[in-house]
Amino acid sequence: MSRLDRWLEDSARGLARRSGRRSFLARVGRFSAGLVGASMIPILPVARASNEPRRLPGEVEGPEGDPGSCEYWRHCAIDGFLCACCGGSATACPPGTSSSPVTWIGTCLNPADDQHYMISYNDCCGKGFCGRCSCNRNEGERPDYHWYRANDINWCGGASSQAYHCSVARVVGLASEQQPER
Amino acid sequence: MKLLGPALTILLVGQLAGPVRADEPKPAGPGVAEDYALHCSACHTAKGGGTPGLVPSLRELAPLLALPGGREYLVRVPGVAQAPLSPDRIARLLNWVLAQYSGLAVEPRYSAEEVEILRRSPLRDPVGFRAALVAASGIPSTAH
Repeated sequence: MSRLDRWLEDSARGLARRSGRRSFLARVGRFSAGLVGASMIPILPVARASNEPRRLPGEVEGPEGDPGSCEYWRHCAIDGFLCACCGGSATACPPGTSSSPVTWIGTCLNPADDQHYMISYNDCCGKGFCGRCSCNRNEGERPDYHWYRANDINWCGGASSQAYHCSVARVVGLASEQQPER
Repeated sequence: MKLLGPALTILLVGQLAGPVRADEPKPAGPGVAEDYALHCSACHTAKGGGTPGLVPSLRELAPLLALPGGREYLVRVPGVAQAPLSPDRIARLLNWVLAQYSGLAVEPRYSAEEVEILRRSPLRDPVGFRAALVAASGIPSTAH
C-alpha cells in the first residue's frame, strides 16, 4: 500500500511540476470538446446546411447567380423592386406583405443549363413601395393591351390590398420553348 | 413601372373545354399542360380554381356550356380569343381544360376550324355577356 501511495504521490507531484492546472484543464477541455463537438456537428441543422449547396425552394440546378441582382436570369422580364432586397427573397414576399393571387407568367433562359423556364412574376402587396433594387427588364413582356403578359400592370389589383411593395420571380416549371411573343 | 392600380379586374372570365384523346392530332409545340401553365394559370391558378370575385373558376363550367351560346362564349372570352396560340392549340387547350377541371367530355370537341372562326369576334364585355346568357336562360344565376 505504501508503495502504491508513494508512486501515486510521486506521479501527481511530477505532473504538477511539469504542467499548470490551467493547461491541464485546457487539454481536458479540448479533448472533451473534440469528442462531444465532433459528435454534435452532424445533428446541428446549421452545420448540416452548410455542407449542402445553398438552394431556395423552387430553385433549379446550376449556378445560382445573385437573386438580389437585376441581371439574375429569372428577372428577364421583371418590372419592379426585387423582393430579395426588401426583406424577402427572389421567391418569397417580405413579412407583412402577401403574394398577389393573379400575375403573369413568362419564360426566361437559364444560362447554367441553357433551358427555358416558366417564371411567375408575382407582386407582393400590402405595404408601400419598397424603393430598393428597382429592376425593369422586358424580355418577352407585352404592351398593356396584352394585359396578361404585361409587367406594367400592378397585379396587386387582384389582392386584398392594392399597395404594391415588390416583385418575386418563381420558377413554375420547365418550358419546352421560348414564349411565343418574343 | 407599375402604372395601373386595380386595372386588373374580372378580365378573364371562363376559358375552356375536354381531354386530349388518343385520336386527336397533336399540334406542334409544347404539351397542353404547358400551354395551360403559360397562358391560363397565372389568373385561373394552377388548379383551375380561379380567384373568387375576380377570376372565374374553371371547375364549374358545365351549366355555362349547356346554355345556348355558352360553347361559343368560351372561345370568345378575351383570354382565349386573344391568346397567342394557333387555333389547333387553343382547341386542344379548351378540350383539355373542360375535361381536366370540369370533368366534361364535350361533344363535338372543339376544333381548330371552330376556334378560328369564333376568335374573330372576341367579347368586349365578357362579364356582361355572360350575365346576359344566364339571364336569357331563366336559370338562377347561382347555377353559373
